[in-house]
Amino acid sequence: MTLLAYVGRRALVLPVMLVGITLLSFILSHAVPSDPVAVNLGELAAANPDTVAAFRHRWGLDRPLPQQYLIYLWNLAHGDMGVSITTHQPVLIDLRHHLPATVELAVAAMLLSLVIGIPLGITSAIRRDSLVDQVGRSVSLVGVSMPVFWLGLMTLVIFYARLGWAPSAGELNPRVATPPFVTGFVVVDALLAGQGGIVPDALAHLALPALVLSSYSIGVITRMMRGSMLEVLGEDYVRTARAKGLSRWIITLRHAARNALLPVITVIGLSFGGLLSGAVVTETVFAWPGLGSYAFQSATSLDFPAIMGVGIVVASVYVLVNLVVDVAYAVVDPRIRMG
Amino acid sequence: MALTVQVLPTPRRPLLSRLLPRVFTRSPLALGALTIVTLWAAVALAAPLLAPYGPLAQDIGDRLSPPTSAHWFGTDPLGRDILTRVVYGARLSIPVGIAAVALAALLGTLIGSVAGVAAGIVEEVIMRATDLMLAFPTVILAMIISAALGAGIRNAVIAIMIAWWPSYARFARGLVLAAREREYVEAARAAGASAGRVFMRHILTTIISPIVILSTLDVGHAILTFASLSFLGLGPPPQIPEWGSMIAAGRDYIDQAWWIGTFPGLAILSLALALNVVGDSLRDALDPRLRKS
Repeated sequence: MTLLAYVGRRALVLPVMLVGITLLSFILSHAVPSDPVAVNLGELAAANPDTVAAFRHRWGLDRPLPQQYLIYLWNLAHGDMGVSITTHQPVLIDLRHHLPATVELAVAAMLLSLVIGIPLGITSAIRRDSLVDQVGRSVSLVGVSMPVFWLGLMTLVIFYARLGWAPSAGELNPRVATPPFVTGFVVVDALLAGQGGIVPDALAHLALPALVLSSYSIGVITRMMRGSMLEVLGEDYVRTARAKGLSRWIITLRHAARNALLPVITVIGLSFGGLLSGAVVTETVFAWPGLGSYAFQSATSLDFPAIMGVGIVVASVYVLVNLVVDVAYAVVDPRIRMG
Repeated sequence: MALTVQVLPTPRRPLLSRLLPRVFTRSPLALGALTIVTLWAAVALAAPLLAPYGPLAQDIGDRLSPPTSAHWFGTDPLGRDILTRVVYGARLSIPVGIAAVALAALLGTLIGSVAGVAAGIVEEVIMRATDLMLAFPTVILAMIISAALGAGIRNAVIAIMIAWWPSYARFARGLVLAAREREYVEAARAAGASAGRVFMRHILTTIISPIVILSTLDVGHAILTFASLSFLGLGPPPQIPEWGSMIAAGRDYIDQAWWIGTFPGLAILSLALALNVVGDSLRDALDPRLRKS
């Protein structure tokens, strides 16, 4: 199979997946014992039969469930995800405001995991059973066993409350004027607005939550990289390279690490899901105004239009990231396409 | 032509009981982890005997006390003893973690086996549904479900079960497919055993050990997820001693009372870490490729 055919086949499944995601979000948020009318309208408006009827009609609640789903899909196709009960804004606008902060956090955390996890995994494997290996294995074990919200709290206790090295929770110092919303990425918006001075403050606020959020994926990536590297180091071509008298560095980096990275690529995509899960709790600890905070706020107030919106966005992001990862894998490893 | 095929019973002891002693006598780390898990289980069982105070007993005069000889782990804003509440927390977290994983494994194994045995369109539908479920990050899915059902221990368990069964279904289906190809299964089929008997007697017995091992690997993770849900306010009500909600309570006191959130977190970390080491050791023992290296 050519690369193009592989990408095409994977891309064909995508729309089906996305529709499936909307269906599942719909089922999850409608299989609820609570009454959306009462929750959405509030007691006063729910007492007025005309308002209730209008609301029911608007969301098709007077129709059978399958039809309701089609109405939701129709509205969704027209860029309407409904109005959030808690913010009284269109869900789409809310998502647009909260997504960039989460992307910022998740990307920073992923970068940290790669920068720390990959070298640690490699060193751990080539110096097996050494001190470095013990550290690497401990880091990966502790990383996957760590309650992220607790780690967040502890870093705030130590680095903010005790030592005063880190800024308090939040995206920016409260005394700093937030740059006008253009992209939603604080750093980019600050530069666009000519407020370059707040960039260091923004980065300082990002550091702790990103590090905390990355703890799990650092663990996963270190462990995977170590295991994969150990396997590759036993391969014939590595022995051949050694027999040819190549230097240790060249063997490690050119022959072993490049091949050992392959399975790690898949894990990177999969651990992105863990990253998004972790973002919910990390954001609530660090008062980070992202999708996680929004999801939490809407889930606890039974704000179903918002919950569905978050579910659809997060699941779609996850599916897309994994598609990109799989394609990247197919690019670097032609065997995948052949299978 | 009458052909008698005698299906020999498996001569060896089941995989799990054969491996268990070897895993823990060989690795000091695994043995240490097993000891910690056992200790936590003992703490959970003997909580009323071990805890110095009642889990709900308040001593307003001694509120927000730092760790002292009277209160080893300090007290919370209502003057409740944190050591006591951490000890009682084990009584909740361990059974909840086990129950959530057991239910998810049961449901997933059932659905995955149906997919593996039925094949065809049924299998296709089931596997695509699990793909979809897996597209939702666990905590977000569990959060949506437990928010929809309402906060509480039972609903948190249900939420974790619904969020996790798909990975078990996948795993079980893979195992069933592999087991179907084994000679003894083919032999049983050739001998005329019914599909039900082949499944119960030959396939199910083969796939159960790996599923049990995957489950032990997941209990630590389930305890973490339950604590996360609790931390988000989707677990039991705040007066119930639960590690995640105790940490949430510590959030408002980070600059005056570090001990409120610190000790419950250490409890979660130590238990999850030990469970992960135990699970890892079991998995390594099962995977011959890893064992060799």
